Order: sequence, then structure tokens, then C-alpha cells
Amino acid sequence: MSTNPKPNAKKSFKLMIVDDSNIMRRRIERSQQFEELQVVGTAGNGLEALELFKKTDPDVVTMDLTMPQMDGIECIGRLVTLKPAVRILVISALADKATAVEAMEKGANGFLNKPFTDRQLNEAIAELLC
Amino acid sequence: MMVAATERRRQVLMAGIGTALILVMGTVLFFGFRLATQTRTSISALQTASTLQTYPETIAQQLNSLRDRLEVRAYSGQALSELQASVKHVNANLRQLEASGDADGPQLSRAQLMWRQYQPVLEPVVNFTGQPYLDSDTAGSSLSSEGRRHYAEVKRAQLFANENARPLQTQLASLATALQRSSSDAATRLRTLLLAGVLAALVLAIAAGYFQLTRERQERAAREAQEQTRYILKSVREGFFLLDADHRIGSVWSEALTHMFSRTDFAGLSFEDLLKDLVPMATLTTAVKYVKLLWGERAHENLMKSINPLGQLEITRDNGHGAKETRYLQFDFHRVMGPQGIKHVLCSVSDITSNVLLARELQDSQDNANAQMDMMIGMMHVDPLQLTSFLDTTETSIKLVNTILREPARADAEFRKKLAGLFRELHSIKGEASALNLTSVASRVHVMEDMVSECKKRPELSGNDFLPLVLKLDELLAHLRGVREMATRLSVLKDSLPAATPAAGAAAPTPQSARAPAGRAPPGRAPGGRAAAAGSLNDLSPTLQSMATRLAQDHNKQFRLSVVGLADVPPPYASTIKDCLIQMLRNAAVHGIEAPDVRRNLAKQDVGVVKVEFRKTPGGYELVFEDDGAGITPQNLKAAAVRKRLVTEEAAGRMDTRAAMALIFAPGFSTQEGVSMDAGRGVGMDVVARSVATLGGKIGVSTHPGKFTRFRVVLPGADSDSAAVA
Repeated sequence: MSTNPKPNAKKSFKLMIVDDSNIMRRRIERSQQFEELQVVGTAGNGLEALELFKKTDPDVVTMDLTMPQMDGIECIGRLVTLKPAVRILVISALADKATAVEAMEKGANGFLNKPFTDRQLNEAIAELLC
Repeated sequence: MMVAATERRRQVLMAGIGTALILVMGTVLFFGFRLATQTRTSISALQTASTLQTYPETIAQQLNSLRDRLEVRAYSGQALSELQASVKHVNANLRQLEASGDADGPQLSRAQLMWRQYQPVLEPVVNFTGQPYLDSDTAGSSLSSEGRRHYAEVKRAQLFANENARPLQTQLASLATALQRSSSDAATRLRTLLLAGVLAALVLAIAAGYFQLTRERQERAAREAQEQTRYILKSVREGFFLLDADHRIGSVWSEALTHMFSRTDFAGLSFEDLLKDLVPMATLTTAVKYVKLLWGERAHENLMKSINPLGQLEITRDNGHGAKETRYLQFDFHRVMGPQGIKHVLCSVSDITSNVLLARELQDSQDNANAQMDMMIGMMHVDPLQLTSFLDTTETSIKLVNTILREPARADAEFRKKLAGLFRELHSIKGEASALNLTSVASRVHVMEDMVSECKKRPELSGNDFLPLVLKLDELLAHLRGVREMATRLSVLKDSLPAATPAAGAAAPTPQSARAPAGRAPPGRAPGGRAAAAGSLNDLSPTLQSMATRLAQDHNKQFRLSVVGLADVPPPYASTIKDCLIQMLRNAAVHGIEAPDVRRNLAKQDVGVVKVEFRKTPGGYELVFEDDGAGITPQNLKAAAVRKRLVTEEAAGRMDTRAAMALIFAPGFSTQEGVSMDAGRGVGMDVVARSVATLGGKIGVSTHPGKFTRFRVVLPGADSDSAAVA
């Protein structure tokens, strides 16, 4: 888990990235092209995400599903309970529709399959923000 | 929705017209009645005034008559009575005119004033009640004192009346004229009112008629639209229906649904009940959750479309003849928005069974074509003599399988024994086919192995369980005939080609040390190498190289295969050595050699090394097979054996290293979790060990975890002339 110590006050949305792959976390952070998004932290599993969420109070979350300790589906449910207005984009390699429906039911707002292109990521985030 | 709004507008208009009509009629009736009443009283007053006109003259004449009578001492009672009656009549009529209020006020007032001036002179006359005459025999009749007074009063009244009769009469005539004018005005107003009322009623009636006409036209259009909708819903091939907020189907749906779901009771049916008996529980749960999500506005329509779990739904239904059939349905959902958000969800259902089956057929056909192509390419790299040898051996094996299948059996144990024998033969065929890169044959045998494995898992076995295997065996035989035919054609083709590659064929020596960087095309024998193959039927090097390449590709491994001395294998040992090497090479590729990134982390070369060496020893022969892979740990072997239930956990705990290593040669043992074409069934090393033992040899294994695994096969000296064992 890592936090950004100096959040930029000019940004209007705080973004938290949750994925057990360090490479994927960096990829998402690097690829998102929204000026109004400020990455406030990244987490490698559901438990870390919860802890970080309470500290940083993000508005937007990208969430992996298959993670150790606490999976993404459970984590989504908990985050939505903490902050119903949070907008969550699921980014997962689990491509089956049942998982997507499960995630949406728990409170996710968008779904993106891995692997994805930068364009697909930014389109998915744009839909999430509008 | 638009039709309902128009209908509401029309109803409001009709109500407005009705109200206006009632108001007009009411107004006409009310004012008409008032005007008629007014006219009637005016006419009555007019009659009264007209009658009154004559009275001043009459009163003057009556006074004249009364005076005359008094002068001649005639009877005056009658004349006085008539005068009294006239005066009374005038008084009464004037009061009546005043009371009616219809007479012109000033005119009437003036007439009353003039009449009141009559009163002082008329009153003493009409009120006279005495005896006017005195009768005496001498003087005859003479006026009495009362009579003289009465006469004087009559005379004064007569003079007054003669003087004022005409002005009063004129005044009463004016009053009559005014009353006539008033009556005439009232009649004109009444006529105008009636005319206006009739006109207004006419206009309203026309408006009502117009709206009625419009309504009929709209109703006709609505009926036609309804009819057209019915036709569309009847003939469209997709199933359409609306879901309400409770996820229940609306009262209108397309006819196609009845064919798709073999029912007609859709109205009010919940979406869950629609799918309940057609799909597995997990699918149903997901579908219901998805439909629920559609009613929330959290996800937009495109996203919902992309996660639609009912895009290709497999359902099992009754085909109407008592049998079950599988169909594929595609559900699409669209939100129907109203002013307050989502009003309905429109669901369209298409039967895409033919599309799905066609796609599968195309895929199968593509797979088949690829398999044929692979087989042909594989065959081009196989020595024709080796191929023929393989086909002959396989034919023999299949005959053996047939014999096994035909063996009579009744008890479960006998069936299981048959299965075990069957499995070994199939595994042997698969090994040979894999070694020759004949993937089409190997994959078919692999499927049969799966079927045998399934049979093994059944609690009880019967002869019927073997029937599918017999069918598959027939298919395999047909395929092998195809392979043989193709091999013959290829052979003819090669013979007919000009000697383009004689050098390659003739110069290709038996490679004593073939190095094949795995993942590239097998460098073994050149395709046209018939001449080279002729002298070395027992040389396994090209076959092993080819197999190594395929294994490396299939398992994403990289290794070099180094082969030494295989040309010296005596014919009696050729078959066993081949089986040993095929099995060991498969084990090395699957279990031994690590993936390149793993090797890199372990500070090993990316490309692994597998060495095969066959040599003559003083006591016989020795085959050494070594790979520089992960090695084998006794712990892993014990854990795998416990997992496979070959030994109990306690027994495994008691095993020493030697006993644990011996598990490699136990029947049914494998450390591979899943089953692939090359490993995981636990058949192979036990067969190898048994074959070696049959030849009087021994097999041993030594390993260092993380560094190497080495198999050593020791065989006794053989009579090279005795080829019967091969």
C-alpha cells in the first residue's frame, strides 16, 4: 500500500487504484489521462484498499477482482457501504458475465476486461465520471 | 401515450361544448321567459290604457246626462250609478297601471295628477246619497235643498269635465302609445334573443359534430394501428415483451414467444418464472440480478449491454414429441424511459440456435482442416518407413484392444481389468503418435483415454459402458486408414518428384548428436530422405528431435536434446528403448525442465539441456537419460502419491528416500495435477519399468532437486540377430 503525501488541491476527483499486480497498478496510474483525477493511493488487496479508503476518501476507484486476503467483489460491497457515492470501475481478467453482474450488483459502476488498451481504459473512466 | 393525450384533449373539448350549450340554452330560456312576461304585462297595460282613453269623454257625457235629468226633475239615480261605476273603473285601472310598473312613469304620473284634479269636483257628486227632489201636490216636483246643492255640484263637475276631458284623454292616449312602444321593444328583444340562442346552439352543434367526426377518424386510425401492431406481433420472428418494475411481463407480447417457450401464459408472469425450468440455477440467479440492475440507473445502457449474461442462453425444452431439445436464445434489453425515469424494460428474444450450430460446425470444420493440415505437415517430416512401422504396430495394438473388448466379463473386477489393459494399449499408441508428431491420431487416442478414465470413476461397470469406446475405436481405425492412404499418396508424390534433394537424403547421416533448439522447426531428417531412412530403421534420433520440438512448443519450454549412440541399439531392444525414451522425454518436458523465466530466476541458462546416451558396456548395454531441470524431491513424490490415494499419509510419512523415489514407477502415479496430452495420467513409467524388467534389465533414477534428474537403464547383452522381441 502506498499513499501520495501531497494531494493536489486543484484536482476535483480522488482516484484509488486496487490491483494485486504492481505492474498493473503502475500501468493504470500512467495510462489514465484525466487532469481532474488525482491518484491518492494504490492497494494490492481488498484489506489494504479498505484501510486506504478510510484514510484518503477517494471518489473514484479502479478495482481488480481476484486478489489475496479480500477479493474485489467483497471489497466493492464494503466501499459502497462506507461511501455510497463512490464510483467504482472493475478492471478484471475474469471475463464471465456472471462476475460482472455480481460486481455491478455489489455497487460497481463500470467493467473493463483485461487486457485493455489505454483508449479503452480512458473511455471507461470517462463514462464513470460523466 | 400520444393517443391518450389526444383523447384527453378531445374529452375536455366535448365537455366544454356541452357546458356552453347548456349555458346558451339556459340564458335563452331565462331571458326569453322574462321578456315574454314583460311583453304580456305590457300588452295588458296597453289594453287598460286604451280602455281608459274613453272614460274622460264618458264621464263628461254622464255628468251632462245627470244635469239634464236634475233640471227636468227626472229620475237621476240611474245616471248617478253609471257615473259612479265609471269613476270607480278609472280609479281601479289607474291603480292597476301603477301596480304593473310597465307604464311609462312620467306619463302615468301626469295622467294620475290630472285625474286627481277631477276628485274634488267628482267626489261630492258620486258620494251623493240624499233625495234630490221634493214632491208636492201643488208645486209638483222641486229640488230639495240637498238636490239644489247636488245640482250645483253636478253642474260644476260637468263644467270641469267638459273643460278637462280632452287633456286627460290625450294624456291617456300618450300613455297607451308609450306602452305600445314598450311592448313592441320587448317583442323585438325576445326575437333577437331567440335568434342568437338558435345561432349559438347551431355553432355548438356544428363544433360537436366536427369533434365527433374527428374522434371517429382518430378511433379508426387507432383501431388500424392496433391491428397493425397485432399483425407485427403475430408475424415477427423475435419475441417481444415489456417488463414492469416488479419484473413481470406486460399484457402484450409477440407470438414468437409461444414457440420459444412452449407456453402462452405470459401476462403477469415474472421473468424468473419464465426461465426457472429452462436454465441452471446459477444462470437463473445471474439473469434475475441482471434484470434488477436494469431498473437501477447506476449503469448506462451500453455497459449493461456489454455485461448481458443472456446474450447466448442455452435452454432445454420439450420438443413437443416427448423428447428434450437444446435451443440457444439471445436476450436483448432496452430501457423504456418515462417522465419519472425508467418506465419499462423492453425485452427482445431471438432464437439463434441455427447461428450457434453453424458457428460450431464452422469451428469444427476449421479444426478438422487444421488437423488434416497438421497431420500432413507432420507426415511430411516423418520417415515413411517409420510411419509404416507405426501404422503396422498401431494396427496390431488396436487388434489387441479389440481382443480385450471382446473378452467376456461379468464381474466388476473383470471389467476394471479390461479397462486397465485398454488404457495401457491406448497410452502406448498415443506415445508413438506423439513421437511421430501425428497430433490428429494422438488427440483422438487422448479422447479415448478420457473416456476410459470416466469409466474407471463409475461405481459399477457393465458391458454397455464399453459401447462408446467401440465406436471411437472404429473412428480411430477409419482415421488410421486415412493416414495410411495419405502416406501412400505422399510416397507416390515423393517418388514422382525429380531427384531434387538427393544430396539431403543421401548425405544425411544418422545424427549421433542432434541439437535442436526447441521451438524451431525440427531439423531432423529431410522430407525426401527415403534413402537415408532405409538403413536406419532403429535410429530414433529424428523422431525424438521432432517430439522434443513439439513438446517444447506445447508446454512453453526451451531445451536442447542431445542424442548419442542410438544407432547402436540392438534390434531386440529397439522397441523398449523407444518406449523408454518417449516416456522419459515427455516427463522431462512436462515435469523436469522449468519455464525460461523460472530458470532465469534460478541463475540457469534459459534453454535447458536433455541428454540421451546409449552405449555398450562390458556386461551389456546402458541407456542414460538426463535433464538439467527441477529434479525430484521425495516430499513432492510422497505428497502426489497421497493425493492420488496410492498410499496413505501415514505410509508416506514412514517412507525413506529410496521408497519415495520408487513411487515414480508405481502404476497410476503422476505429480502433474491436470491431464494433458503428455502427462498427468500416471501411466508410462510403470510400463517402462515393466518392459525393462521383461528384458532382464533394471531401471534406476538419481536426482538433485533444482539441478538434474537422471534415469539409468541397464540391459543385458543381446543377440542382435534375434529380432523377434522387437
